[in-house]
Amino acid sequence: MKISNITKKFENFSLDWQQETSFNGKIYGIIGSNGCGKTTFMKIAAGLIEPDGGNIDYEGLKPQDITMIFRKPYMIHDTVYKNLIYPLTLRKIKPNDERIEHYLEMAGLTKMKKQYAPSLSSGEQQKLSFIRAMIFEPKLIFVDEAFSNMDIESVHLFENYILKMQKEEPATWIIISHQLSNIKRVCDQVYFMHNGKPEAHGRADEILHGPQNPNLKRYLHNEILTS
Amino acid sequence: MFDFFDQEVLGIIGLTLRMTLTSTAISAVLGIPFGLWLAKTKPNFRATKFLKNLIVSINRTLMGTPPVVVGLVVFLILMRNGPLGSLGWLFTFQAMVIAQVILITPIISGIVYTAANRSIDRIQSFAATMGASKFQTNVLLIRELGNEIFFAVITGFGRAMSEVGAIAIVGGNIRNLTRVMTTTIALDINRGFRDQAILFGIILMIIAFAVQITADLLRKRERRQDENF
Repeated sequence: MKISNITKKFENFSLDWQQETSFNGKIYGIIGSNGCGKTTFMKIAAGLIEPDGGNIDYEGLKPQDITMIFRKPYMIHDTVYKNLIYPLTLRKIKPNDERIEHYLEMAGLTKMKKQYAPSLSSGEQQKLSFIRAMIFEPKLIFVDEAFSNMDIESVHLFENYILKMQKEEPATWIIISHQLSNIKRVCDQVYFMHNGKPEAHGRADEILHGPQNPNLKRYLHNEILTS
Repeated sequence: MFDFFDQEVLGIIGLTLRMTLTSTAISAVLGIPFGLWLAKTKPNFRATKFLKNLIVSINRTLMGTPPVVVGLVVFLILMRNGPLGSLGWLFTFQAMVIAQVILITPIISGIVYTAANRSIDRIQSFAATMGASKFQTNVLLIRELGNEIFFAVITGFGRAMSEVGAIAIVGGNIRNLTRVMTTTIALDINRGFRDQAILFGIILMIIAFAVQITADLLRKRERRQDENF
């Protein structure tokens, strides 16, 4: 995916991604303080919000190849199983029982497959939304703080899954997270956003260790203090 | 003495049900898509935002319109010298249905709009991230908002069932032609036939209760089918 000169104005905020950026086949992290425009950028990139200006080239990817996993995922008013197979139903693909069981087991939801999905805890909903997004093998995946309510064990499990999948069938991942350990373990490249603009980017170790940008330094300092 | 199996009584009950179901069905067909469309429409400009707010305000005003006003308007339109007088629909079943549709449609669209407005963005975003087409997104919207839509239709049905002012004006309460349960009750009270009025009242309540119970059972069965995938 190639993004160039994206702008979006709101009453009290404006996003200004004034550069040409390619997101191709790697795991990208986006960090920054609350309200810096990470989610707005992601929603625009995912095609959920129209930008005021700029261009997004999905380079041949269809809407069916793109997904986004939210911090507060939407659960269909139905069972866990029905939620999981929903993307397959849309594509008229017959669910493979073995595969379904594998995903449910991975997320620790096997015993809950007949449970009403909106009644799951927020962490369980995040796990379900993750495997629901994975089940149709998307090529471009946006993750917006989707691990924020999971326990550490589950976070590590999904991180390892992403890394394993990336080796087997590389996709493009763009991950927003305030958990810097997440970003450090998983991401190849990291963008730091401040006041609606990308202020720094580079390899994860470059960005997270010894940054030059003063805003990034302050952000990392505060995040480390908080965690 | 009230005879439940009297042909006239059965005719009144039958006509009431036919009129209520017809007007609720037409109002649902008009009101549900309109309410959803209103919730889905997110104007970007000040002028279009104003227009949308104006439409919502008009709809809310119509939700509380006094039935006699609707009756009067429909009467003026359908009377012999009115714009649609040539149709000859005044004091007929059609006139009563038109009055009820005007009364119920804003109620259904208003309830659907309020409910959809709360969750439509999340459902649409979710559907988009799952790769749903426009049609599939609309199907999901109707499914997810099923309870609210159902509530809106039942509320409309209840309003249609209990309506008296408008249909008395445009129907004329003509025996064996446009006399329904509510207008019969009003007439019976005036004539001093209180027992008959009370019994029609009880029948109205039983019908409303039966519709509610049947609808609840249908929804429960649907949920059970979902669980037995």
